[in-house]
Amino acid sequence: MDKAKGNERKRTFLLITIPILVLFFVFNTLPLIKGLVYSFTNFKGYGSYDWVGLRNYIDLFQDARVGKSYLFTFKFALVSTIIVNVISLVLALGLNSKIRGKSALRGIYFIPNILGGLVVGYIFSFFFTYILPSLGQKMGIEFLSNSMLASTKSAWFAIVIVASWQAIAMNTIIYISGLQTVPEEVYEAGAIDGATGWKKFKSLTFPLIIPFFTINMVLCMKNFLMVFDQIMALTKGGPAQSTESISFLIYKNGMDGGQFGFQSANAVLFFVVIVVISVCQLQFMNKKEEQL
Amino acid sequence: MMKKKQSGVGGTNWPVTILLIIGCITVFFPLYMAIVIAFKQPSEMTNNIAGALSLPSSFSLSNFTEAMRVTDFWNSLGNSVLITLVTVVLAIAIHSLAGYAIGRNMGNSKFYKFSYLYIVSGMFVPFAILMMPLVKQTSQMGIGNRVGVIVLYTVFYMPMNLLLYSGYLKNIPMALEEAAKVDGASTWKTYWSIIFPIMKPMHATVAVLTALGTWNDVMTPLVIMSGTGKNTLPLAQLNFQTQFGTNYNLAFASYLLALIPILIFYLVCQKQILNGVVNGAVK
Amino acid sequence: MKRKAILAAGCGAALLGLGMLFTGCAGPAAGSDGKIHIEMVQYKPEAVKAFEQFQKKFNDTHDDIYLTIDSPNEAMTILKTRFVKEDQPDIIGIGGDINYSNFLDSDMLMDISDFDGLADIKQAYLDIDKNLEFVPEEGTYAVPYMANAAGILYNREMFKENGWEIPKTWTEFIELLDTIQASGQQPLYFGFKDTWTCLAPWNAMAVDLAPADVCQQVNRGQASFSQEYREVAEKIIQLLPYAQKDPYAYSYNDACTAFARGESAMYCIGSYAVPQILSVNPDLDVDSFVFPASDNAEENILNSGVDLQFSVMEDCKNKAAAYEVIRFMLEDENIQIYLDEQNAVPCKEGDFQLPSMLDGMTEYIREGKMADYQDHYYPAEMSVDAMIQTYLMDGDVEVFLKKFDTEWQRYNRDLIAKVKKYEEEHGSTVPDEREAGEEGEE
Repeated sequence: MDKAKGNERKRTFLLITIPILVLFFVFNTLPLIKGLVYSFTNFKGYGSYDWVGLRNYIDLFQDARVGKSYLFTFKFALVSTIIVNVISLVLALGLNSKIRGKSALRGIYFIPNILGGLVVGYIFSFFFTYILPSLGQKMGIEFLSNSMLASTKSAWFAIVIVASWQAIAMNTIIYISGLQTVPEEVYEAGAIDGATGWKKFKSLTFPLIIPFFTINMVLCMKNFLMVFDQIMALTKGGPAQSTESISFLIYKNGMDGGQFGFQSANAVLFFVVIVVISVCQLQFMNKKEEQL
Repeated sequence: MMKKKQSGVGGTNWPVTILLIIGCITVFFPLYMAIVIAFKQPSEMTNNIAGALSLPSSFSLSNFTEAMRVTDFWNSLGNSVLITLVTVVLAIAIHSLAGYAIGRNMGNSKFYKFSYLYIVSGMFVPFAILMMPLVKQTSQMGIGNRVGVIVLYTVFYMPMNLLLYSGYLKNIPMALEEAAKVDGASTWKTYWSIIFPIMKPMHATVAVLTALGTWNDVMTPLVIMSGTGKNTLPLAQLNFQTQFGTNYNLAFASYLLALIPILIFYLVCQKQILNGVVNGAVK
Repeated sequence: MKRKAILAAGCGAALLGLGMLFTGCAGPAAGSDGKIHIEMVQYKPEAVKAFEQFQKKFNDTHDDIYLTIDSPNEAMTILKTRFVKEDQPDIIGIGGDINYSNFLDSDMLMDISDFDGLADIKQAYLDIDKNLEFVPEEGTYAVPYMANAAGILYNREMFKENGWEIPKTWTEFIELLDTIQASGQQPLYFGFKDTWTCLAPWNAMAVDLAPADVCQQVNRGQASFSQEYREVAEKIIQLLPYAQKDPYAYSYNDACTAFARGESAMYCIGSYAVPQILSVNPDLDVDSFVFPASDNAEENILNSGVDLQFSVMEDCKNKAAAYEVIRFMLEDENIQIYLDEQNAVPCKEGDFQLPSMLDGMTEYIREGKMADYQDHYYPAEMSVDAMIQTYLMDGDVEVFLKKFDTEWQRYNRDLIAKVKKYEEEHGSTVPDEREAGEEGEE
């Protein structure tokens, strides 16, 4: 009896999983394989092309611009991931506590995520070009008195600010839905033990929402390592090519330019790099989760 | 940390409320700029702070009506709503099943563990590399249209949603299912009658995140639907922007119009997130 | 049970939606009305109004051909994806730039040398198109329709009030800049945050100071940019002290607004910027002059390129009908409709009413004293605009020129190999005479 049940369960799971894997293979892996094939050609995106063997991959490692874009992207992703996770966790705790106007506040903090690239680009360009420098001049702060976007030293951080501003909304939602799974009893039990504030968070709340912390870390990695929209909106890779992200190069030179083959190779390399990182990350987090 | 000041059960936590209200400035300030610009005429635009932040000379709705005309608003809106809604429904139905089947088994089966990593790693494929092959593939399959866009979204959001659903399931005890199993219900039935309803807050989260991504996306409909004569709102909004000239006033009016439906959708969904049923169910 | 109902409703809605989508696909089959259908895609969405008029007028006057004109945004992306779908339009309207060179090189365009309308097109523009071919091709592949021009836009009112004169040489130009600055006004305004605007002064100066076919010369191994572009590079950086502080902070749009509001006397940009400028200040009196980058006034020529040209796609089934459409576009009356709508220079011979902001350039246009934008030969992925911006910021001319040469070799490797191969097979790619006019005849 029990065995039959187990088989039924297994069969159901397989019947669910296999069609999904097939769907995913057809619309994600299959085109990826085709892209992989193009990475061995000098394909422009249309028309005829020639096989070039491993030339694109050899070029990748000699291209200073590609190297710079990797450095920029990882620096950007690391800083943004930290900023976004700290702020959205605090924000989620705040929005989940006993406050007035919960719905309204949650709605308001969600807005940055909906505003399109053109609006965000224009408003923040204006902010960095006109508002911030004049504030800086008035307050006598030297490094603020020039546009952050015009300097190769600070432009990357301006993008961090805007990307974080937009991303916090999404991460907050995920943390909020995570906090819903924390049963009231845990808090009540904690209150009896006298756990308050930071200690309560660290020992009671956080362990319970670790799966959501994992999700947010992975999603942050994905969104920030593949940063594209904010760069298009704010700097288009400038000033002096200092904010060219990997996705920006892949898209701009692969689609707008005639480097489809070369950038396919770049995309393949990039894909391998992030998968390695995120699989390590997932394994690490899963271990952590099990420990707790 | 703000949690320190959390007051007793039942009372409003005023310090946190006030801090959160102050924090709203970071949202209101840009939003204010967007609204002011949406009402202005191009000739009112200047290159200084006063010019950008001052109120428009008149609050005429002409930018909004013109923006609606240029984007063929109702048709584009219709397409956007259709694509987004169908995608969201499919995402909730398919991705939650995937999350359940894979999430429940990945701890003790190599096959599911592999499936999980396989799908999740698909998240990191840059769209640019998939684009041309997908354009060709969808067109050969005869779905180089809205259907193709929906199918692609269902696949593109699968990694993220699988991550979300399987993460959420970790906090849902197996005991719930086992009770049903004892009653002789099939796994399929147990899923729809017990697990699916319990994941309501996650459905709402998935709905919001998926809808948001599809609502604002330009690239997929641009390349897949090109030549079909159908537009989504973001596609139509490209009208305001060319290399040599951008009409920010019309564009902002149009963006504000496009923001309203998705904001309403979010507010509806977030009630579901808020009224999570898990607490009650676990008890 | 309520949940089930909601779920069922949701699934129902999804199915219904999918059903609607599928029925939506079954549109009327093309050609069912017995007419020949011609589809054109043109890449200038800003000119959509003129093209809507053309489409209506054409269909009203033709019983046998039905014309549809699409003016999409992101037209180049759309065209490329449609090529991949093998769903090509019959006619494409694109610019005379590297995309044209690439499409031609990929054998996607039809030879239209038997098109009668070509006889009326100004030779200078046919030559410009000829020069865009990577290796000389037999035949003609595009009908130049409209050109644009770049140089310096100036505020005519400010010039009149202050009695400033239009400079004819580099020395005069620098003197003028000094005079304007001394008067306490801003001579120039740059929008270098948008890197592509760095190319506007660059192109306008390069046509005066470097040979028109410098890129082809380099591809043939007969010249180097370090040599040919040195003067351009040294001169462009001299403009910076006359512009606003920190020009990399301001976008193209900011610069247009500033110029429109009289914050600067001049703006180094092309005629394409005029609509944006006038949208901010419709009363501004704008005129333009040719960039005087050389001290020899004779060497200063107009920077003008083909902004819109029509090509018939290789697999167009009705060549005659496509020709009829292009013939229609080239009717004087229709050209004038386009000119009134856009600030453009017609490529067809004839007496057209040019927009007033081109007053300072008409003489050059009439005499054909012009050369194409140098950046039409630069591969987009090399990002020369960003390289120029980098150079303007750090000011190191040696590094810049050296990088230009090495990067060029890398990004154009396949092209250079192709040119070499062609030369081995055909001897020289170009006749000895460097005049473009000769080249067109071959």
